[in-house]
Amino acid sequence: MNVLNFPILSLVTYLPILGAIVILFLSKERHEAIRWVAMVFSTASFVVSLWLPFYFDSTTAEMQFVEKLPWIQYLGVSYFMGIDGISLWLVLLTTMLCAISVLCSWEAITERVKEYHVFLLILETGMLGVFMALDFFLFYIFWEVVLVPMYFLIGVWGHPARKLYAAIKFFLFTLFGSVIMLLGILAIYFYHGGQTGVYTFDVLELMKTAYPYSSALLSFQNLVWLAFFLSFAIKVPMFPFHTWLPDAHTEAPTAGSVILAGILLKMGTYGFVRFNLPMFPESSKHFVTFMVTLSIIAIIYGAMVCLVQRDMKRLIAFSSVSHMGFVMLGMFALNAQGVQGSILQMVNHGLSTGALFLIVGLIYDRRHTRMIAEIGSGLSKQMPVYATLFAIVMLSSIGLPGLNGFIGEFLILVGAFKVNYIWASFAVTGIILGAAYMLWLFQRTMFGPLEKPENMKLLDLNAREIATLVPIVIMFFWIGLYPSPFLKRMEVSVNHVLEQVEKGQAGKVNPGTKAASVGATERHLPSIIQPTSGTSEGAPGVRER
Amino acid sequence: MITLSHYLALGAILFIIGMFGVLTRRNAIGILMSIELMLNAVNLNFVAFSRYLPPGALTGQVFAIFVITVAAAEAAVGLAIVLGLFRNFRTVNVDEINLMKW
Amino acid sequence: MEITLPPVDLGAITPELIVTGTALVILLVDLFLPRDRKTPLAYLSLLGLVLAFAASLPLWGRARYAFKESISLDPFSLFFSSLFLLIAALTILISTNYLEREEIHRGEYYALLLFATLGMMLLAKGMDLVVLFLGLETLSISLYTLAGFMRARLRSNESALKYLLLGAFASGFLLYGIAFLYGATGTTNLKKVAVFLGKGAPLSDPFLFIGAGLLIVGFGFKVATVPFHMWAPDVYEGAPTSVTAFMIAGTKAAAFSAFLRIFLYSLAPLKPNWSAVLWVLAVLTMTLGNVVAIAQQNIKRMLAYSSIAHAGYILVAVVAGGELGGSSILFYLLAYALMNLGAFAVVILLGQKGEENLNLPDYAGVGYRHPLPALAMAIFMFSLAGIPPTAGFMGKFYVFSAAVKAGYIGLAIIGVLNSVVSVFFYLRVTVMMYMREPRAEVGPIYTSPALAAALVIAVWGTLQLGLFPGRLLELALRSIRPLLG
Repeated sequence: MNVLNFPILSLVTYLPILGAIVILFLSKERHEAIRWVAMVFSTASFVVSLWLPFYFDSTTAEMQFVEKLPWIQYLGVSYFMGIDGISLWLVLLTTMLCAISVLCSWEAITERVKEYHVFLLILETGMLGVFMALDFFLFYIFWEVVLVPMYFLIGVWGHPARKLYAAIKFFLFTLFGSVIMLLGILAIYFYHGGQTGVYTFDVLELMKTAYPYSSALLSFQNLVWLAFFLSFAIKVPMFPFHTWLPDAHTEAPTAGSVILAGILLKMGTYGFVRFNLPMFPESSKHFVTFMVTLSIIAIIYGAMVCLVQRDMKRLIAFSSVSHMGFVMLGMFALNAQGVQGSILQMVNHGLSTGALFLIVGLIYDRRHTRMIAEIGSGLSKQMPVYATLFAIVMLSSIGLPGLNGFIGEFLILVGAFKVNYIWASFAVTGIILGAAYMLWLFQRTMFGPLEKPENMKLLDLNAREIATLVPIVIMFFWIGLYPSPFLKRMEVSVNHVLEQVEKGQAGKVNPGTKAASVGATERHLPSIIQPTSGTSEGAPGVRER
Repeated sequence: MITLSHYLALGAILFIIGMFGVLTRRNAIGILMSIELMLNAVNLNFVAFSRYLPPGALTGQVFAIFVITVAAAEAAVGLAIVLGLFRNFRTVNVDEINLMKW
Repeated sequence: MEITLPPVDLGAITPELIVTGTALVILLVDLFLPRDRKTPLAYLSLLGLVLAFAASLPLWGRARYAFKESISLDPFSLFFSSLFLLIAALTILISTNYLEREEIHRGEYYALLLFATLGMMLLAKGMDLVVLFLGLETLSISLYTLAGFMRARLRSNESALKYLLLGAFASGFLLYGIAFLYGATGTTNLKKVAVFLGKGAPLSDPFLFIGAGLLIVGFGFKVATVPFHMWAPDVYEGAPTSVTAFMIAGTKAAAFSAFLRIFLYSLAPLKPNWSAVLWVLAVLTMTLGNVVAIAQQNIKRMLAYSSIAHAGYILVAVVAGGELGGSSILFYLLAYALMNLGAFAVVILLGQKGEENLNLPDYAGVGYRHPLPALAMAIFMFSLAGIPPTAGFMGKFYVFSAAVKAGYIGLAIIGVLNSVVSVFFYLRVTVMMYMREPRAEVGPIYTSPALAAALVIAVWGTLQLGLFPGRLLELALRSIRPLLG
């Protein structure tokens, strides 16, 4: 269904890459021109994407603005894009933060400007594609396409000391997860094909099939769930898989950190809501305790680590671990408040952490250090505008009522509390710790006497720098004070997902029978996936387990 | 009475001697000769099979002739390479011809 | 016993005849060209290849046999013939520049290259083991000579010697295997072998197993699977770079074409047995190839190990079998040829006289000194690593889907993990090119329209197959069907 009769999603997605192509034809000496082209195209993408919420029909859980074209027919691959209430705000978040990223790189990036903007714009296309793709093959391609430019952004323009290490670690971690996911995709592709006779990568079609589940850990559905989990959990990142994040965030240039924290991490959580929950409802319920435990560990562990950081950027990186723990906790509360809060919190975290990285970037541009001790105290006296904006961003991050963070965290806590008050109480601890490290950070740098001689002649923000932060601050207040336009548009979609989880296999094709009969065969995974199990191929297949 | 098995056993022994020679000889010419031995073991097999197999077709014998021909070509190229090598390295000992690690 | 000569059907082998004829003409024309102006021969051989390709087009229509069923003109062999012609053409395009720089002024180079191509085409078309053997030897003997073509260079000599000794050794195994197969089935014709085994003949015949085992060893050497790979890195490193490119892309594909015809077609009833062996070989080959490649500093050597690893991925598809597995091999081989030839084109372009400038640190900062070749190289590296949207990704995707479909989940997992490991060393090239400061100034690079054309074709093919693989997938599927009966 496409109310506009116009491929608006493709337009939003490919405007940035069009900009990249234009830039390729510019001389590499013309820095200003390159920046303007990047700015124009990323802003254009943002402006076009602003149409989406206006034409968005918040009464239906169906995919909207759908575009579907055959692509590789033999494999059942189609070019299938569409958004619903879950992806709508993430798309807008992406276009907005990418435009801001171009703006914030204006003076910070002075070398290899052309390549930088090309990669930035390709990255934007990749991320938008991830949020819009409704064909697994397409999704996977966008998912991987994101890796390459991000790898270059970290590796070329990152902080010289450890950028190579960070870039490769980022690449390998994410790739490891995604190839396992690819196998999961293939498994459901062949299972679905074997059941229905139609081999397709269409996500909506694949969702209609019930995948064999039993409570045994290694039942088909659980295995596939785990394959997806691995990929998304690395991206989120959830607790034991988070080690790439501090390195990548810390070493990346400011715009890279903003995009990493603001958008890339959401690809993981988005994957959970979009695929894991509705596609594998039984397994999702099966792993609730597991997921919640990991989330709570992440919330508390992330916050504790923040308390001992001496590097501002690293501190914010670890705060992301903690905040993403919240997002995951709300999601796996598996009720309307929790999931809505979780999605809203994805947007909130994107805004507030993105803004925090911008804040750090601004001070880094001036002082070329990220160490809290070296930056010294009392900056608010020299840079009042900066301090004010920092305060707002910080308060948003710790969830002050009236700002966006509060709404998301509140909904998540309500959701968690409805399931288990112990979860909620752990989460509250995380909020308190969060307030502690953020306030402490603010206090150590902004207040106190202005001692360092370097700080005496610091300039306050210029108009461009203010312009990078103001849109985000406006969003803080908007979501904080009047969140209903946001919540209303995601409500139906969220309920639809929860409905699918609730009904489980009962709501899907071949209900019941599979669940009952699968107990006997679930240990022979290969034979399930192999619809026409050839006689000759059985023997080595058995060996593998 | 000499049966197929006898020929095959002889072929196998020759082949293994040849293989052993390739693996232990250090002289490039020696290795080439060992390879010839292996090929001749194969020829023996072909001819023996051809003789004893029920259809009695000549395929095996023809194959043997092809193998002999090709082996001659291979030996010619091989010796040329060894000769060229000797000009540069002043040795045909394969242990000493080792600029790149194996 | 009377010998009936098979009817001579020259129409069936027109492409081969054209290639042979061109090679002979080149040898002749070479005599009349001045010593340092051999480039016209390159264009002559290109012409021959194009004509051969044109001559192969009418054969696509209907599958048939020729020369008493010893030559098969099915889509399978025609697919491979076209692939070999493409590989040969690209190799010639990247050779001219290289030969001039290294001052190899010898017309025989092109003739030998064409003879090698002829051998490969026979390997793909051969329906009789005799033809396969002759094709293989035509290919191998030409390559022994090509590997040692830089007569004054010690490494090239060494490469030729090692290739010759191991190649002949492998031929011995292959022939021994053929002999046993002949003993077990009474024929060397692959179609008759298939019919014989398909009729429910006793599959427990020890000759059959010995034969199949020896064939696996023989082909294992030829396609460089672990543990029969030790010659490959040395040979690939030492041979002239353009020849290395040809060997990596061409011989592998050629050996696989024969391997597939024997194993997927004739020995299909034995699949439970040989697929278990190949399962192990695939795992060893992928893992060792990738792990050892990480340690390499010389880019040719790194690509050599990477080619070993890729042989492993292809074996995964062989093990998986079926239409999906079979067609994925064809697709993979084409993708593999394009990206490797492309990568070698860049290696040649950036190299310096005397096979210099081939170590990874030499690539530092290349991304800023030579942006376009570096961009192409980055695309090839990402493709080899299997990152979309490239041909390498589609190939791997296709191979691993075949494995998952056939139920070889374990193999698929090992495969994808291996491809993650491989990213490490492919990325190192891009790290060098884009993330390291350039070293002291090196000599200028020489480009030529031919090399540029080869690069453009390879980049275009790599991206085309990555973004719109549909038609080629269907072609591969159509080509593999005759083998699966």
